[in-house]
Amino acid sequence: VPGVPEEPPPILGSWPRLYALVLGVLVVLILLFGAFTRAFS
Amino acid sequence: VSPIDWWVLGVWLVGIVTYGWWRGRGSQDLDGYLLADRRMKWGTIALSIMATQASAITFLATPGQAYTDGMRFVQFYFGLPIAMVVLCITAVPIFHRLHVFTAYEYLERRFDGKTRTLAAGLFLTQRGLAAGLTIFAPALILSVLLGWSLFWTNIALGALVVIYTASGGTKAVNHAHSLLICVMLGGIALAFVLAVASLPAGVSFNDALHVAGIHGRLRTLDPSFDLENRYNLWSGLIGGCFLALSYFGTDQSQVGRYLTGRSVAESRLALVTNGLVKVPMQFFILLAGAMVFACYHFIPLPAHFNPIEVRRLEASPYAEEYRTLAAEHRQASEARERHARDYLAARRAGDAAAVEASKSEVRTAQTELQAARGRVIDLMKRNDPKAQTGDTNYVFLTFILSMFPPGVIGLMLASVFAASMSSTSSELNALASTTVVDVWRRTPFGRRPPTPASGTEVGGELRPAAITDRRDVRVSVIATVFWGAFAVTFAEYANQLGSLIEAVNILGSLFYGTILGIFLTGFYLKHIGGTAVFAAALVAEVAVIACFKLTSISFLWYNVIGCLLVVSLAALFEVIFRMTRRAAVA
Repeated sequence: VPGVPEEPPPILGSWPRLYALVLGVLVVLILLFGAFTRAFS
Repeated sequence: VSPIDWWVLGVWLVGIVTYGWWRGRGSQDLDGYLLADRRMKWGTIALSIMATQASAITFLATPGQAYTDGMRFVQFYFGLPIAMVVLCITAVPIFHRLHVFTAYEYLERRFDGKTRTLAAGLFLTQRGLAAGLTIFAPALILSVLLGWSLFWTNIALGALVVIYTASGGTKAVNHAHSLLICVMLGGIALAFVLAVASLPAGVSFNDALHVAGIHGRLRTLDPSFDLENRYNLWSGLIGGCFLALSYFGTDQSQVGRYLTGRSVAESRLALVTNGLVKVPMQFFILLAGAMVFACYHFIPLPAHFNPIEVRRLEASPYAEEYRTLAAEHRQASEARERHARDYLAARRAGDAAAVEASKSEVRTAQTELQAARGRVIDLMKRNDPKAQTGDTNYVFLTFILSMFPPGVIGLMLASVFAASMSSTSSELNALASTTVVDVWRRTPFGRRPPTPASGTEVGGELRPAAITDRRDVRVSVIATVFWGAFAVTFAEYANQLGSLIEAVNILGSLFYGTILGIFLTGFYLKHIGGTAVFAAALVAEVAVIACFKLTSISFLWYNVIGCLLVVSLAALFEVIFRMTRRAAVA
């Protein structure tokens, strides 16, 4: 967006990497929930 | 509730109201009052975002949901992290660049005044009624289980929030949220630990998980695709994503939280944190409910969790019949406990055949228990056709009140109040912001004078901008008190309007998709004008209502349908309008 300075996040160096972390954690959680469901069904 | 519980609750309530008032003092202009001078750090904003979403119903009803329906509800939140990323990329930088107070201000700059009025009007209607329910729902549960007056509980919950929200504005709300969410999550964690500790000797945490698993209560992932199944992987990822986009991107009670960030980065970090934390947090809240379910295999299980309905039955001509049914329920509960213990013994012995046999016995006992409970509910309905037979919301607090020691109960009640106050304060704050910015300041009385905006004192005299700033802050305080009074008044009548409560809850999901469609069209389809999007929104809304009335599609999908219809119809209408204009010119 023009007019808004792009300040990097405090970790991982860039916003796309931080977003990838959020989505990666979601994928890991879904896989863990799958394993949890299998273990206790 | 013992005297020590009252002391704990009282000290907590006085403390939080004083803290909120103290942290919010000194706001002189709208930027300070409505957006905390746009100086908040990401940690405070993240806690505020989480506290806003977590109402008392989250605290009380979510474990109850796991108890009755299992943990599949966690899938509802799968779309949230995706929505957080989308909002970080789109909405956050746009709102910051435009320096808006409310999300709806953006719509006038992008489209026109009527689109802004439509969105702000929908928000005020829907959120104003929802604020009443946010107060009413925990007040009802507390009054039923503790025998408190519903009238005064509503007033207490509303008044405590109004005191610090009106006096300190957003600064007070955000700082109080940091404490409120910590107390609420601490309460959930403590409840979880004590639920595990309440398991009888010889039954471990792992055993409890296996017992809950027999009944499918730990099913957290369902990959099947079914439009009529409310909670599965796909409805969570797609429908949940659209719902979260609507809630966090267009609902002022959330937008107002991250607009307080001192930079785009601070607001983004807050949303990213929410995206990382929300799903695991909900998982543990649901797991606490599953633990309560497992615990009730080994301790006396009430035939029904609503004590008022049970007392009414005991005082009715059906009392004798109820006692017989309650005895049957008790026997079924004891049979289930025996089979559950057999199952655990078989597991420890490593006898696979015995494990399968006892599992089957536990399931049969559960079916018999459900049948016995169903007969009690039928009797309640025979005694009074309008009896409140749904008791999911009472399960968790009943467990807390019967199992936890004095002092801890006070802490749990403090958590319930914390959860209620956290969501109500955001709602009142957002309603006041929208009333002042999107309504009051557009009326002849509220327009700002066309003088240089300094907002400072010069030579002992206030310049007009500063005078109007202080006037607007006063109007914001009045608007907060007004919406607080409105919410409490609605809460007082909500008990008599059973079907309306359901209607108001559905109202939110009916409108969110359409509002999101308007915003997404604004963000991404730059060539589309206000008239096209306004007409598309009206048509899409009619279509969503038709879906609700004529189909059995799960409500999460309404957000997707409404949003996609607005975007596609707005594009189509824009083409038609342009062709019509060209034809008229020719």
